Amino acid sequence: MKAVLRLVLTYFTGTALLRAITALGVLGVVGGSMLFLYLPQLLGGQGGPSRFSLGQITLFELAPVAGLLCFVFGASLLPALFSRLASSHYLYVLPYGRIKVLVSAFATLTLVALVVAGTTTVYYIRTPLSLDVIFERAFIVALLTCNLLYVVLWLTSKSTSAIGLLVGSIVTIATLVLPLRFIALPSRSLLTPWLTLALLWSLFAAAFLLAPRLKRAGGRIMRRIAAPFSGASYDGGAEIDFLLGTARPWALAAGLIVPVLMASYFLSGFEVTASAPSPWLFFLAILSILSGTMASMAATRSRRLWLRARWTRAELFRRVEDAFWRHNSYALGVLLVLLVVLGTHFYLPTKMLALGMGLLALGMALSTYLGLMITARVSWLDALLAVATMLALMIAAKYASMPTTATSTGLAFEAALAALTLVFRRIAQHRWMRLDWMRCRAEPGVRAVA
Amino acid sequence: MSTPYIVARELGKSFDGKSVLDGATFVVEPGDVVGVLGKNGAGKTTLLELVLGFTPASAGSVQLFGYDSYRLPGAAKARVGFVPQQDELVNQLTAADQIGVIASFYSRWDDALVSKLSAEWEVDLRQRIKDMSVGQRQKLSILLALGHKPDVLILDEPVASLDPIARRQFLEQIIDIAADGKRSVVFSSHIVSDVERLANKIWILKDQRMYWQGDFDSLKESIVRVHVRASHALPAWLSIPNALKVQRNGTTATAIVQGWRAEVADTLAPELGAEIEVEQLTLEDIFLELHR
Repeated sequence: MKAVLRLVLTYFTGTALLRAITALGVLGVVGGSMLFLYLPQLLGGQGGPSRFSLGQITLFELAPVAGLLCFVFGASLLPALFSRLASSHYLYVLPYGRIKVLVSAFATLTLVALVVAGTTTVYYIRTPLSLDVIFERAFIVALLTCNLLYVVLWLTSKSTSAIGLLVGSIVTIATLVLPLRFIALPSRSLLTPWLTLALLWSLFAAAFLLAPRLKRAGGRIMRRIAAPFSGASYDGGAEIDFLLGTARPWALAAGLIVPVLMASYFLSGFEVTASAPSPWLFFLAILSILSGTMASMAATRSRRLWLRARWTRAELFRRVEDAFWRHNSYALGVLLVLLVVLGTHFYLPTKMLALGMGLLALGMALSTYLGLMITARVSWLDALLAVATMLALMIAAKYASMPTTATSTGLAFEAALAALTLVFRRIAQHRWMRLDWMRCRAEPGVRAVA
Repeated sequence: MSTPYIVARELGKSFDGKSVLDGATFVVEPGDVVGVLGKNGAGKTTLLELVLGFTPASAGSVQLFGYDSYRLPGAAKARVGFVPQQDELVNQLTAADQIGVIASFYSRWDDALVSKLSAEWEVDLRQRIKDMSVGQRQKLSILLALGHKPDVLILDEPVASLDPIARRQFLEQIIDIAADGKRSVVFSSHIVSDVERLANKIWILKDQRMYWQGDFDSLKESIVRVHVRASHALPAWLSIPNALKVQRNGTTATAIVQGWRAEVADTLAPELGAEIEVEQLTLEDIFLELHR
């Protein structure tokens, strides 16, 4: 019990940043909920709502949501710590180590889901709706989302290959669409997600607890499966692609179809209205961003190229840039085709398709240059820039999907993003001119931050 | 006689038909400090991993505290400490947090010992692990294995990354652990002088087999270098009993002999008409000669 509690505490407070985020989360959830429940609403002089009272309502409603987000991300050490312990020898020598680590992960997920469900229920206290139903629905949706969210966090900190990115893309889309299915369609029974979760957790627990026994058999099978795809079977292409990991563009491009097919199944019955625009462009934009992120490993991987080839730094950058564009163009081509196919099938507006094509190309270009900009440890500024860029892309995708958006507004967004792409390219070029390979080693810490 | 902590019989391991350890039989009793020597690939890590139950044996058996190592119950695990060859620390945490996490798994954890050792070894507990040097990380790994005062401490190349001062401090600590005669230490190392200074039992692995095991004195007495010097060319039939290898050079010969007995010199010297000199070897010399 002591170990489980300590592990749960460490997931939330393992670093100074996480301690701050978790504290903000608790403050936001508890403080915001209290204000929402007990502080009487302010009224204007006429007894009706005033600007100030509307501002107050907005603040009271948003504080618990912001707190929840902080609380959820406060536990983001869970995937890193869990995977580190799971892959170490500690699990063999710590007393009851395997079961305690497993229980700590489940306990953390349950705790996060309980807090989310409890806070969501607070919003409905003054409504005639059954609070039991609200709590249960919020709990299962939160549990499902958090399960997937932490898997995404783990995958994105680990993946250095196209296949890793692909798996990351699939789980990311699942994280987004699965909860939508149960939030947007309240009539749906919760039996399926409960059973799905129970099955997934049982399978995961069994695999984790029996890992030492399954390892030998599993290793042999995995080696056999992986052999055709391993580096040993590489039989062509340029050396630069081999060293940068861009030799098989089709693997990622063809694989992108999987999450889209999955999303189209889960979103069947999801009604598109003027206030709820089509999510498709949003999803495809995320996939375009993920496809470009492989470039973040380019600086580390270019060291061997730099040692072998007689290129100047400018030439090295140009060739690396070419290699990634060659690689990403396959994925972009597939995404554009998917956009047209989805647009035809779901009768999406032509304007949205036209704006969407530009947006997908820009998403890929932006994430590629953001990746190329990582030539050393990721700074706070880089991280903020990346988050801001992603948000800008998502906002642009939302506007492009809304039927009421003027074409000029959509084009203005895209022009701004294109200008940003050029700025990122210039920064990346500048950094590569002063690239220090001692500072861009592929350390797990750097990858995790990236 | 006390009950042995570790008992292995005809222990073997193979991967995909390739043998990495074959027919190892040994016993570790309370108070033993065993140094495991062997070249790279000799099977040292495999041997330690089999003892700890990280992997099942392909042949034979190994028991730890009377239990099959591969099915070690939690209570028995609480009596084992392990330092892996490469540290398995969590980069994001501080040293204190890492210690806190590991300590929480044990019902008995000696905070005072860990504080004392971290101060002596100059491990800054507030420092983040990813900012630590390789040596600092190794010291922290050792602290984590010592904190619960294990009955059996197993260390795979524990001092490879430590500077001479830290190595000496670590060795002193191991001596302290073994001094009460109730606990055992098994450690592999490439640094033969450390093994010589510390171990009271030595296992030498060669070609995936337990080539030699016993106490250090027996090993030293057992293997010697014999110099034969004659005033004439030595005969072609020159044969020295139990010689592992013989180098001849006209009127002289040098042999490495296992199980040397003084009476052999008494019979061989008049037979050859030569002078025979026996040279005692250091552990490092023995190790090198066995692998040459």
